[in-house]
Amino acid sequence: MSDKHNAHDSEGNSEPISRRKVLAWLTSMGILGSGIVTLFSNLVFIKPRATYGQPSRFAIGTPNEFPPGTRIALGAQKVAVVREGNKMAAISITCTHLGCIVGVAETGFACPCHGSRFDQDGNVTGGPAPKPLPWFELSLAPNGQLEVDKSKQITAGKWFTV
Amino acid sequence: MVYSMSENKQKNSFFSVIKDFPAAVWSSVFRHNLPHTDLGRSQTSFTNFFLHIHPVKVHKHTLKPWFTMGLGLISLFLFLILTVTGVLLMFYYVPSTTQAYDRMLDLRGSVAFGVFLRNMHRWSAHGMVAAVFLHMCRVFFTGSYKKPREFNWVIGVLLFLVTLFLSFTGYLLPWDQLAFWAITVGTAIAGYAPVVGDQMRFILLGDTTVGQEALLRFYVLHVAVLPLVAAGLIAIHFWRIRKDGGMSRPADADVIETNGAAPVETEAIPAAAPVMAMAAAGNGGIDFIEKRRYGVQGLVRGPFTKVGNVPDNSVYSYPNLLLAELFVFILTVLGVLVISFFFNAPLEEAVNVLHPPNPAKAPWYFLGLQEMVSYSAFWGGVGVPGIEVLILLLVPYIDRGQKGVGKWFAKERLLANTLFMTFVVVNIVLIIIGTFFRGQNWEFVSPF
Repeated sequence: MSDKHNAHDSEGNSEPISRRKVLAWLTSMGILGSGIVTLFSNLVFIKPRATYGQPSRFAIGTPNEFPPGTRIALGAQKVAVVREGNKMAAISITCTHLGCIVGVAETGFACPCHGSRFDQDGNVTGGPAPKPLPWFELSLAPNGQLEVDKSKQITAGKWFTV
Repeated sequence: MVYSMSENKQKNSFFSVIKDFPAAVWSSVFRHNLPHTDLGRSQTSFTNFFLHIHPVKVHKHTLKPWFTMGLGLISLFLFLILTVTGVLLMFYYVPSTTQAYDRMLDLRGSVAFGVFLRNMHRWSAHGMVAAVFLHMCRVFFTGSYKKPREFNWVIGVLLFLVTLFLSFTGYLLPWDQLAFWAITVGTAIAGYAPVVGDQMRFILLGDTTVGQEALLRFYVLHVAVLPLVAAGLIAIHFWRIRKDGGMSRPADADVIETNGAAPVETEAIPAAAPVMAMAAAGNGGIDFIEKRRYGVQGLVRGPFTKVGNVPDNSVYSYPNLLLAELFVFILTVLGVLVISFFFNAPLEEAVNVLHPPNPAKAPWYFLGLQEMVSYSAFWGGVGVPGIEVLILLLVPYIDRGQKGVGKWFAKERLLANTLFMTFVVVNIVLIIIGTFFRGQNWEFVSPF
């Protein structure tokens, strides 16, 4: 009896909360909460923990395989290897607009999908591309192989000397 | 007494069981013969599972061919054709980057009717995008999204989006050049969405780049997830048509023409007052008294439940509506068969990850979008389409006037119709530019 009395007091003038209302509220919250947890765990499920694609760090060959004046695209790795004299660079050939592979020419890069254009260093010269083509870190491994690390972007124009 | 008892015994005899067997089976499946009376025609809607979606009677205005042009039905029938041909194609398809394209080529040589089925599937998909869009135009230009049909318009817009996603996920599956570069561009557009963009792109692709995981994911979306979503939405869409009072019609459609005498107005006009609208509206509908029992007749109003000799403008769904539907069905199937017979579905070269085709063009219905993203990836791919969809969803809640419902290009709706026509024309012009005026490197070229 006293419990009921106290509950009524603490609510002030408002109506006392019946047991039925409390249970209904708890049930609704329980169902809603379970729904949110279910949705969230499904999202976690479909987001892969391991990927099977290209590793971000890979070897491309020895410097001798790229004589001065080279400008070639490596398709599987999606980088262009450029060599001018003894300076080398690895420039992305994935268009910064919508991910098409840009064509490599003497004068620069051109995207066939939506008409973005880039100069020889990957700077945007026309079209909808919002950013220049990124440069990736290039290094020489102890076995003499050049290595590209696509997870490390460097500032454009920072050449690697071989 | 004695005589009738002997008759009963005879009925249960072994031979009579054999003799009556076919009739017993038949009558257990079909509860009555083909209807020849109005009662029988009414019963078709109650006793037949496949016909119970129909109302017993349908307004004459609904059956006017030029009012709806059957566009919604055409969309449904194309969806059914797509389901059947799609399931058949699944028997020969493998969602693998190394096998998918070869399987496409196998359809040509080693599968009976393989090419024909693929043609049917592809052309029906193109047709469905067009039919759903034209259906939306019909509903807008006849003002049919007005109260109480607002929510069904919203369901319809969602169905249009699902149709686009279905066709997008579908044309990736051959894993040809178009497939590869469409998935590349499409998921890159998703990546431009604010805040969740990159996460969304990663979950869609299942990887950081387009490959096997992406093909598998789009396959599951195409053959399981999206068709189920579409089927669910279609069910709600159809159910709401009935509950919202059938097809829209002009206010004067309920006036009965009588010979010589003054026209009889059957009921207060927006009167096909549907169940849910009345429940919400309060006045104008039935004043619900709590704790009173209501029969169905107390809840359902309008011309469809009239009993006795009350004049009204409706006819029995069986056979009138059924024949109209059959006509549209035959026309749709015939169209798909003829087009699939004469034109082969496009299949581009096998994927070359280094060389996008130049120009890399999406199917016609996405070329407007592609034209827009060639100006700005965010605004063309996310911003403007997002705003367009949002406005479409909100249309019935913004434009709340009740005039000009059920008439094509009603004078009262000049402003709304002009705005929507502008939206339609702009999108068609963008598609035309993308299709005919874009050449190598997406540069502007003249087709002439």
